Amino acid sequence: MKRLVGVLSIFLILVASTFGATKITVWAMGEEAKSLDKLAQLFMQEYPEYEVNVQAIPWANAYDKILTGIAGRQVPDVAQMGTTWMAPFGSMGAFEDLTPYIQKSEIVKPENFFEGAWQTGTVDGNQLGIPWYVDTRALYYRTDLLSEVGYDHAPQNWDELYDAAKKLTEKGKYGITLYQPQDNYQVLMPFVWQNGGDIVDSNGKVIVDQPEFVEAFAYYTRFFTEKLAPIGGGGNLFQDFASGDTPMFFSGPWMVTMIRDQVPQIKGKWDVALMPQKKTRTSFMGGSDLVIFRDSKNKEGAWKFIEFLSRPDIQVKWYQIVSALPSVQAAWDDPILQQDPMIKVFGEQLNDAKAPVNIPQFQEISVSMDRRVEEAIYGRKTPEQAAKDLKNDIEKILR
Amino acid sequence: MKTPLRAIITFIGPPIILLFIFMLIPIFVSLFISFTDFDVYAMYDWSNVSFIGFENYINLMKDPLFWRALLNTLYALVVAMPLTVIFSLSFAALINREGTYLKNFFKVSFYLPSITNTVAIAIVWAWMLNPDYGLINWFLSLFGIRGPNWLGDPAWAMPSVIMLVVWKAVGYNIILFTAGLQNIPDYLYEAAELDGATRFQQFLYVTIPSLRPTIFFVTVMTVIGYLQLFEEPYMLTAGGPLNSTLSIVLYLYRQGFRFFKLGYASSIAFVLFLMIFALTFIQMRARRNEV
Repeated sequence: MKRLVGVLSIFLILVASTFGATKITVWAMGEEAKSLDKLAQLFMQEYPEYEVNVQAIPWANAYDKILTGIAGRQVPDVAQMGTTWMAPFGSMGAFEDLTPYIQKSEIVKPENFFEGAWQTGTVDGNQLGIPWYVDTRALYYRTDLLSEVGYDHAPQNWDELYDAAKKLTEKGKYGITLYQPQDNYQVLMPFVWQNGGDIVDSNGKVIVDQPEFVEAFAYYTRFFTEKLAPIGGGGNLFQDFASGDTPMFFSGPWMVTMIRDQVPQIKGKWDVALMPQKKTRTSFMGGSDLVIFRDSKNKEGAWKFIEFLSRPDIQVKWYQIVSALPSVQAAWDDPILQQDPMIKVFGEQLNDAKAPVNIPQFQEISVSMDRRVEEAIYGRKTPEQAAKDLKNDIEKILR
Repeated sequence: MKTPLRAIITFIGPPIILLFIFMLIPIFVSLFISFTDFDVYAMYDWSNVSFIGFENYINLMKDPLFWRALLNTLYALVVAMPLTVIFSLSFAALINREGTYLKNFFKVSFYLPSITNTVAIAIVWAWMLNPDYGLINWFLSLFGIRGPNWLGDPAWAMPSVIMLVVWKAVGYNIILFTAGLQNIPDYLYEAAELDGATRFQQFLYVTIPSLRPTIFFVTVMTVIGYLQLFEEPYMLTAGGPLNSTLSIVLYLYRQGFRFFKLGYASSIAFVLFLMIFALTFIQMRARRNEV
C-alpha cells in the first residue's frame, strides 16, 4: 500500500509538473540557442508557473524554418529575430504588436535601450520587436603599420581615413577592406549617415540622389577605383589583417575575440576605434530582437520572458555567457563591461549607431543597392549616375 | 486475364496519390499563383491576394534582369553541356579500356563530387579560385601566367561557375557512359580490328554510334539540369559580380524567397518550365527524325 501511494504521488507530481506549468516555446539560433537554456533555468526559478522550452535552429536553416513556420502557422511563442529579418517577417503580419505590453511594463521602456537598437524593432511604424543584444561596427586597425605611415592614432575623420589608406597602399598591398558582395549597404550606409544622408527621408521621399548621399557614395567608390581596397573574391580577413595586406577594416565586436584566437601573433599590434567623423560618427546597428508571434497562445508568459531577458542584470549575465553586447544602456554601467577597453569602444559607438528603416521592401532595396554599388566600384558608372539609377530603382520598388 | 481492380488500386494507388500531393497539385497551385499578386502581405493573410491576369508575365518580359539571367543561363548551358558530354564520354572510354588499372578507384574518384554537398564544394572552390592564395592561380604562376581574379572579375565569374558545374556533373555521367560502353558487344570491335581500324577509328565508328541512346539521354538530362542552374552560382558568387552569374533559378529564388513575390516568382518558374519543355521536345523530335 505504501508503495502504491509512493508511485501514485510521483505520478501526480509528474502530471502536475507537465500540465501545471504554462509552456513557453522559444526559437533561438546558433550559439545563443545553446546557452539560452541557462537563462531559461534562472527564469523558471523565479517564475515556477512557467516552463520554458528552447529550440535551437542552426542559422543556415533559420530563414526557411521561420518562413515555413509562418506560412503553416506552426510558430513558437517567442523567437530570436536577426535585426535584418524584422522587416521581411514583420511585414507579413506574423508578429504581435508589442505597444500595449510596453505601455504597461516597468522594465521594457524605449528610453532604457539604445536609440538605434530600439529602431530595429520598429516595422512600418509598429513596435514588433524588443532588442535583445546588439552589435555595431567599428574600425579595426593595425597600430604598428599605421604608425609607420605617420599615424600614432586611429584615423579620426574621412580625410585621415583616405590619407592613411593611400599611404598604406603605397607601402603595402591595400589600405582597407570595404567590400561585401551581399548586403553591401551595411558598409556603405554608415558613410551616408555620417554625411547626413539616407535612403528615404521622413516623408518617404527617396533621397539617394541628394548631395549628402552622392558625396558619401563617391567617397566610398574612390577607395576601389584608386585600388586602395580589394574588390570581389577577397581572401581571409584574419590572414590579410595579420600579414598587413589589409591593415584596416570595419566589423563588429565578435571580431575582437576571433582575432585574439585566430591570429595571436599580432597581439598588441592592433586596436579598435570609433568610426571616422564627417558630420557624425554614425555606425551600423545590428544584433537580434525578440518577438512574440501573433498565433502564440501564451502571450503573457512570452512577454514575461522578454521582460526577464531585458533586465540589466540578466543582460550582463548574457554578455558573460556568449559575449553578446547588451542592448539596455544601464547594463553598460556594470564593471564587467568596462573591463575590456576594446569592448568599451563598441559601447561608446552604440550611442551613435543606426539601422536602416524597416519596410517590407527593404530586401529589394538592398539587392538593388548591391547592384548599383558594384556598377560604380567596378568603374562601369560614375557614382552620380549609379545614384540616379538607384533612385529610379527604389522609386519603382516603393510604388 | 483480367487484373482485378483491387490489385490495380493497391499497387498503383499510393504512388499516384503521392504524385498528386507532391507534384501535380503544387504545379497547378503555382500556375494559379503566377496569375495573382501573391506577395509578402499574403503570406499570413490570404485575403490580400488578388487575380491580376497576365500582368506578372508582361512585367517579366520588360524586366532587364530576367533577360540578363536568361542569357547567363544559356551561356552556361551552351558552354557546359558539350564540355560535360565530351569529358564524361572520354573519361568513361579511358576507364573502360582493357588495360586500365584501378578502374573502380577512378570511378569512385570521379563520382565523389556528385555525392558531396555543394556547399562544402563551393567553399573549397572559392579558396582554389582565390586570386592571391588560390591553388589554380598558383598553378598558372608556375608557367608564368598571372591568373585572373576568378570570382571578382565579371568576365571570369561565369567560366569559374561552369568549371565547377562540369567538374561536378562529369562523375554521374561517367557512370551512365560506362554502363553504355559495357553493353557494346565485343565482336563489333573484333570485326573492326580485322578490318584494320585503328583505336581512334574504332572509337569514332563503333563506340559513338553504339552509344547514341546513352548520349541522347545524357544530353537531355544535362540540358534540363543546366537550365535549372542554381546551387553553384548561389554558393560561389550569389549572382555577382555585376549580375554576371545570375541564373534564372537564382533570380526566381531571389524574387520568391527573398522578396516574397511568389506570384512573380511563379511566373518565372512557368516560363522556365515552358523553355525546358520546348527544348526537350525539340531534342526528342530531332532524334525521331534521325532514327
